[in-house]
Amino acid sequence: MAAAMSSTCCASSLRLVPIKQTFFCSVQFPAKSLIKRPLKPSELPSFRRTIVTFQKISTRTVPPPSAASSSSPSDSGNLEELPPKLQEIVKLFQSVQLPKAKYEQLLFYGKNLKPLDSQFKTRENKVEGCVSQVWVRAFFDEQRNVVYEADSDSLLTKGLAALLVQGLSGRPVPEILRLTPDFAVLLGLQQSLSPSRNNGFLNMLKLMQKKALLLEVKGEEDSSSGESSEFSFVPTPETNGGASVVDKDTESQPSLVEDLGTQEIEDSVSGSDAIALGSRGVRIRETLEKELNPVELKVDDVSYQHAGHAAVRGSAGYDGETHFNLRIVSDAFQGKSLVKRHRLIYDLLQEELKSGLHALSIVAKTPAEV
Amino acid sequence: MEGVAMKLPSFKSLAPNAISIGHRSFSRIRRSSSLSVYSAASSSATVATNSESVSLGHRVRKDFRILHQEVNGSKLVYLDSAATSQKPAVVLEALQNYYEFYNSNVHRGIHYLSAKATDEFELARKKVARFINASDSKEIVFTRNATEAINLVAYSWGLLNLKPGDEVILTVAEHHSCIVPWQLVSEKTGAVLKYVMLNEDEVPDVDKLREMINPKTKLVAVHHVSNVLASCLPIEEIVVCAHNVGAKVLVDACQSVPHMVVDVQKLNADFLVASSHKMCGPTGIGFLYGKSDLLHSMPPFLGGGEMISDVFLDHSTYAEPPSRFEAGTPAIGEAIALGAAVDYLSEIGMPKIHEYEVELGKYLYEKLSSLPDVRIYGPRPSESVHRGALCSFNVEGLHPTDLATFLDQQHGVAIRSGHHCAQPLHRYLGVNASARASLYFYNTKEDVDSFIVALADTVSFFNSFK
Repeated sequence: MAAAMSSTCCASSLRLVPIKQTFFCSVQFPAKSLIKRPLKPSELPSFRRTIVTFQKISTRTVPPPSAASSSSPSDSGNLEELPPKLQEIVKLFQSVQLPKAKYEQLLFYGKNLKPLDSQFKTRENKVEGCVSQVWVRAFFDEQRNVVYEADSDSLLTKGLAALLVQGLSGRPVPEILRLTPDFAVLLGLQQSLSPSRNNGFLNMLKLMQKKALLLEVKGEEDSSSGESSEFSFVPTPETNGGASVVDKDTESQPSLVEDLGTQEIEDSVSGSDAIALGSRGVRIRETLEKELNPVELKVDDVSYQHAGHAAVRGSAGYDGETHFNLRIVSDAFQGKSLVKRHRLIYDLLQEELKSGLHALSIVAKTPAEV
Repeated sequence: MEGVAMKLPSFKSLAPNAISIGHRSFSRIRRSSSLSVYSAASSSATVATNSESVSLGHRVRKDFRILHQEVNGSKLVYLDSAATSQKPAVVLEALQNYYEFYNSNVHRGIHYLSAKATDEFELARKKVARFINASDSKEIVFTRNATEAINLVAYSWGLLNLKPGDEVILTVAEHHSCIVPWQLVSEKTGAVLKYVMLNEDEVPDVDKLREMINPKTKLVAVHHVSNVLASCLPIEEIVVCAHNVGAKVLVDACQSVPHMVVDVQKLNADFLVASSHKMCGPTGIGFLYGKSDLLHSMPPFLGGGEMISDVFLDHSTYAEPPSRFEAGTPAIGEAIALGAAVDYLSEIGMPKIHEYEVELGKYLYEKLSSLPDVRIYGPRPSESVHRGALCSFNVEGLHPTDLATFLDQQHGVAIRSGHHCAQPLHRYLGVNASARASLYFYNTKEDVDSFIVALADTVSFFNSFK
């Protein structure tokens, strides 16, 4: 990572950061006040020159609370929106005030990052725009949550990579894609702030998001062609520091092969669903019918195939309906790329995804493509 | 030239503030630049008598306000002058004055301001010419920077003169700006690029270079002082060898012109390039020196106004050099400010600056190499080998970016980490990146000491995590 943390030649002790809306106070304020109410100007911390704070930031405006508008991309740093592990990490960094201590914390994370096997240090896995070398690898666990591994030859970058790996591993694709880099400000690490192309942190996050999306797309393509792409990223028994929720039972692999075998058979049966749908299945069917007006719609509850997962059992809203295969043929997909089609479907099923639906295996075609 | 001198007193009255601005001790210089005294030799003597007890670095620091600040809670220690130099107040004032008092387009106008601007612009050209001892100011072409100057030679001279099978000799240590243009042009012309590798002293192998020169060689393009290795090439020797076979020589003098006396007559190079921003001048201006008959033989590079003689619908005729290669409105204020930078440097005296830097550079090298696990690239300094005042280095087991980050965040020390626009060189040395601390005459021994202390702290911090 090049010197994105360059010392700017400003005479004042404040460093203006091009963040559009949000005001971030110095780390002395507890994280809660960041979200719950706007800070009045009188409450602004004074950035005295003698304080060696890690961040000396001011912005131009103090915005209204952003709790309502949670999903807009320009909305920065709503802490509770972040994936849980990432929230923890951010809170940890906020509680550490001395810059040097933050570095120590960062290096500590990096030290505990599982090293990346050299076979994965490929060009596709390399983060561009970094002076140091950074590689990121992504693969699905059995619940189609993304698992990351990363490495770097620079200790600081490795620390940042470890933050992201720990914070994002084990999360589903949409959640990862929703994340904006603004949370980095909350960490109080100056080097993550610069939007320059040499900012390794931003580039790392971008690559991780891109890989998550690619996994999703590839997964759908492969399942629609009857092959599994998941075997190309052989799920390793151990993952990074327990950050992901991968089932360590390797016996699930053969059953996956069988699943896809049966899926092939099911694909050839048009129209009716193979198994009677429970309430979620019915809701899914109804939503998709209403919104997409499909020519053909198959909703298969394949949760039983994943019933052995420890992760599934005991998860909130566990009602047994966690995994579905969808086959939709609709004009609504006309002119949309594969990725867009899948996002459309995901967006329609937001509520389900939030309340216990773990994964969808989607085949989305236009009538012309069938 | 007398004509110019006569006009200047009226310039003085036009811009009375130009003289009274500033409270610094180098008012001597300001006056001399605005009266355009050609020889700075007389004033450098008076400068010298004041300097007995105080080093050059300490003396000049007050001219550079930017150096007097804190970053991240520590005093700024700027060790990145090889990337860009800081500008003394006189240079900034010259730029300001231009815009405030006589900004006007050059060469085109008849009116008073335009004549003034043209005079000052051409005066700056003369100053640069004198600075490198060119025989005529028409041999100085103003460009945006050294990179553009090299591209000018590549596209203008290169496209015309390079034929399939012709050879261009470079070194593996060249800056990208002296590699990529030749790659682009050799693709178009079918010329072949040949690279000189380093010898065991980590300096381009001049013996090999001599061997490589053969009748097919049309151009030798080399650096004078390397921005990574700090080594200095024997340009005069190289030029003799090249001329023997009828090849031309282009010298990338970006790291030499700011730091030592560069005399193009002595070097006898055909082309020489340098950037203003590395020699206390503003960014946005640089120059190409080319021998008169060479420039006259070259076709235009960029087309537009200024570089033409007559324009018809179906064809145009072109101006004489240097105008032929200066299309469009130039960076007038910047050129004038570069002239002021040349005056400033000449006032101090390039021999003095060089002497100071040799000493300070040696001190840096010694202190740096005394730290454990530090590997400095380039030749070891000795009686016969003078290094430039910079050190590119790596610390065993640590990444240069980590070093640079921590040095900046915790100690306010500004160094550079990366490949320094010399990827082939780094690949040759077997590293991805290196850290580089580079000095200029406004750095002091204390700067070097601060750097070394900070570096030791940084290394121990990172080592505690391994």
